[in-house]
Amino acid sequence: MHILKLLSAFLKVNIQMSLAYRADTVVNILLNLMWLAWELLSLNIIFSNTQTLGGWGLGELIALLGVFRLINTMMIAFIWPNTEKFNQSIRDGSMDYTILQPANSMFLVTFSRITVWRFWDLILAVVLIVIGINMSGDSINALQILTFILLALSGMVVIYSLWIVLIALTFWFTKFDNNVTILQALLDAGRYPATVYPVWLRIIVTFIIPIAVATTIPLQALRGELGLNQVLIFLFVGIASFVIATQVWKTGLKRYSGASS
Amino acid sequence: MTPTIKVNQLSKTYQVPEREGGFGAAVRGFFNRKYKDVKAVQQVDFKIEQGEVVGFLGPNGAGKTTTLKMLSGLLHPTSGTADVLGFTPWELKTEYLRSMTLVMGQRNRLSWDIPAADSFLLNQAIYRIPDDEYKETYKELDELLELEPLMKKPVRNLSLGERMKCEIAVGLLHRPKVLFLDEPTIGLDITGQARIREFLQEYNKRTGATIILTSHYMADVTALCERIIIIHHGQLKYDGGINDLSKKIAPFKLIGVLMENADEHDLSKYGEVVENMEDADKKFIQVKADEVTRITSRLLADLPIRDITIADPPIEDVIEQAFNA
Repeated sequence: MHILKLLSAFLKVNIQMSLAYRADTVVNILLNLMWLAWELLSLNIIFSNTQTLGGWGLGELIALLGVFRLINTMMIAFIWPNTEKFNQSIRDGSMDYTILQPANSMFLVTFSRITVWRFWDLILAVVLIVIGINMSGDSINALQILTFILLALSGMVVIYSLWIVLIALTFWFTKFDNNVTILQALLDAGRYPATVYPVWLRIIVTFIIPIAVATTIPLQALRGELGLNQVLIFLFVGIASFVIATQVWKTGLKRYSGASS
Repeated sequence: MTPTIKVNQLSKTYQVPEREGGFGAAVRGFFNRKYKDVKAVQQVDFKIEQGEVVGFLGPNGAGKTTTLKMLSGLLHPTSGTADVLGFTPWELKTEYLRSMTLVMGQRNRLSWDIPAADSFLLNQAIYRIPDDEYKETYKELDELLELEPLMKKPVRNLSLGERMKCEIAVGLLHRPKVLFLDEPTIGLDITGQARIREFLQEYNKRTGATIILTSHYMADVTALCERIIIIHHGQLKYDGGINDLSKKIAPFKLIGVLMENADEHDLSKYGEVVENMEDADKKFIQVKADEVTRITSRLLADLPIRDITIADPPIEDVIEQAFNA
């Protein structure tokens, strides 16, 4: 598999790059631990005053936090560093080299930078999800776990696609460094279950801004609250958004080569 | 044999936002942007055979880089066609991308924070170069460019000249058949320039690769290219041998004379007196090529001359004249 070979080459280079800055790596690991403690603490504060939040118990919220962190890991491990690299490559013109490489440019732009030390965060996210599910004491069957995994992946694809569209806009506007600030603002809204928001905001969060798709929906699947129809719809949303993002990217590249000098 | 590169009526027009200076104009420009058409390249035609080394010359903004970008596939032309190795470059076919390279002296392909060796391996993966072929190519490039001592240091710790060597080498790992080099020696000192030049010459000889290069350093062009293409204001002004250039564009010769009490004699009645920094002892006049014999004998008869030379004017001056023609 050429893609895997390429991915492992990128990974190797990035491990070497992160090892080049030791202090940076250590500080980042410490910071990450502090953030986790803070998030758990704030959940505790909320629940010392109330037993449920939008109908969800503590265990479920911890599981949600796990899913949220899963996406956050994707953001920090891939999306942020590559956004920075992308914006810089537009400014300094090294994007030209990316375009002329005989590999899928969207792939190159996605994986050329990887924040390696975030990988242990992935494990943490999974642990949180497992603990959360256990705490909520639901009896979960294999099908529920499967739909949960599929929908979580689909949700991540939705966010990824949104990112691709946002950075591709740079091809039209040349300077659009705030491209991903928007994405972070949206993602922060996903930290709490969509059901805590008023209905109109929930509709926006679920359908127009697909963050809830990536956090709340998979967890609802895990609790067995979604029907087959809904599961299929959300899977379709994942695939469709990826197809759309790919098209936007291609059009953007064409635009770039038509207008740049 | 079909030429490696065939360019037919290639044109590129940019739309550039245009506004006057000042705050008011900036605000007006935000809401109602005006665009101006800039004709970067206009109906350029040429053919280049396999193995040729061709120099693109022209002042800044002449359209050299735009042409090079269209040939490498980065830019779509406004009109016209180009054919490189049987491909239309801007279709960006994988097979095409694997058989050409673009090296831009002012842009970095190598990652700043890691040793060049790692960037090389990344490119090996991207270009799908088999291990044995990679080793062979690397060995060859190392032989020519002495890469080995540079490979282990982070790229940011390399000197400009060392980095350029690595930049060129990384662009050649996949053994491209066509090389587009945009200012490959920019910012390098004289020895650095000479080293890159020698390398390109040797590489061309060994592999038979076709090379197009642009450079501001005339020495690059005179040393490497037998043929030059001059572009000015987006138009092709000259295409031919570098030696024919002076005949066609500036049929002048430069007569240099060394004489006693040089300052007492007025040379302006023989021809146009020109400055020559490289040889301060001599005085130089520029005369038409067909008058050289007549004027030389007059000089010899009239003046106390100790030494006399007749030469072509420097290529820089000739090209300067070509631009202004």
